Amino acid sequence: MSGFGLPPDIRMNLERSVVLLVDDNPQALDLLAAMFRGFGVHRQVKSTSAADAQNVVKSRELDLIIIDTSMPGMSGYDFVRWLRREAPADARFTPAIMLTGHAARATVESSRDCGANFILAKPFTPEVLLQRIYWVAKDERQIVSCDSYVGPDRRFKNMGPPLGKKGRRKDDLSGKVGLAKEPNMVQDEIDMLMRPSRVNL
Amino acid sequence: MSEPQFIKVRYKLTDQIAREGGMTAGMATERAARELSAEEEKARQAVRVTIGKLETLCREKTASMDAVYDLSTEVLDVAGLYDDRPLSEAAYALCELADRLRTQGRTDWSSVNVCTEAMKVIWATTTPTGGQIKSVLEGLWALVDYIKMPEREEPEA
Repeated sequence: MSGFGLPPDIRMNLERSVVLLVDDNPQALDLLAAMFRGFGVHRQVKSTSAADAQNVVKSRELDLIIIDTSMPGMSGYDFVRWLRREAPADARFTPAIMLTGHAARATVESSRDCGANFILAKPFTPEVLLQRIYWVAKDERQIVSCDSYVGPDRRFKNMGPPLGKKGRRKDDLSGKVGLAKEPNMVQDEIDMLMRPSRVNL
Repeated sequence: MSEPQFIKVRYKLTDQIAREGGMTAGMATERAARELSAEEEKARQAVRVTIGKLETLCREKTASMDAVYDLSTEVLDVAGLYDDRPLSEAAYALCELADRLRTQGRTDWSSVNVCTEAMKVIWATTTPTGGQIKSVLEGLWALVDYIKMPEREEPEA
């Protein structure tokens, strides 16, 4: 298993979780449901449209939403944006993982700002999906709510505010840069860092 | 612009996965793979039907590139859940091709047909060699990249 993989001996209990699966492709929806049966999720709600999924969100308590990005009518991105801003208050921050096949040009901006917990690109293995579910469950990021974005804080690591800017979070570190403690790198060293190199994935 | 608010949330999912019982991640992924295997024949047939629809569009040459895009995402949707990388990549190439064409308000049925036939070959190949598939996929991407190139200006007569 790769270094970022989920250790196979970690125990997870999804038996009582209620998961909403949304995909306009019935075949893909059945396959997702099969995958979640394998994960031990007995309580699944399936929707073939974002509009139907909205009704489910309004009427049921959910623990996780898995939604395809590309759907006719309301897209997965628009659904998650609605979820984070307009859904009933107790459902608004339900974790959502989006599954994406191809990112059409018209949707690139939507995907960046929709507020999903994770976006998972196809193709993927059940192991990778389970890993994302585990990450969501362990996710301690705060929800950021502002005019242009509502969703998990996209800064995984608090690196402080940009240089010269006053931080807006209580725990933001000072943006002041002290004196250099090491000599500047010479250009050759910088070039070496920037040099393209072949990697084996 | 209003000040951003930071809201601390604790997901119910966090407590649920930590409950007694359940199974190991290894067991869960094995079970999921078994469940997917049980559905594989049906899924393969669904992909074949979708490729057949694309073939029909290529023969008729009347549909919009939106229709091609939608059908190619259908293939990607299903192949992607099986981690079928060659078929997913071929379907992705057709998605990209159709997206580029529709963005430019163009159609190019010959290129769509090449991608469709490539998907059909990959779908039907049960024991592909890495080199063969790689060549096919490289060819598809060369085709897609060709669409991106700007129109050549004809020299004045």
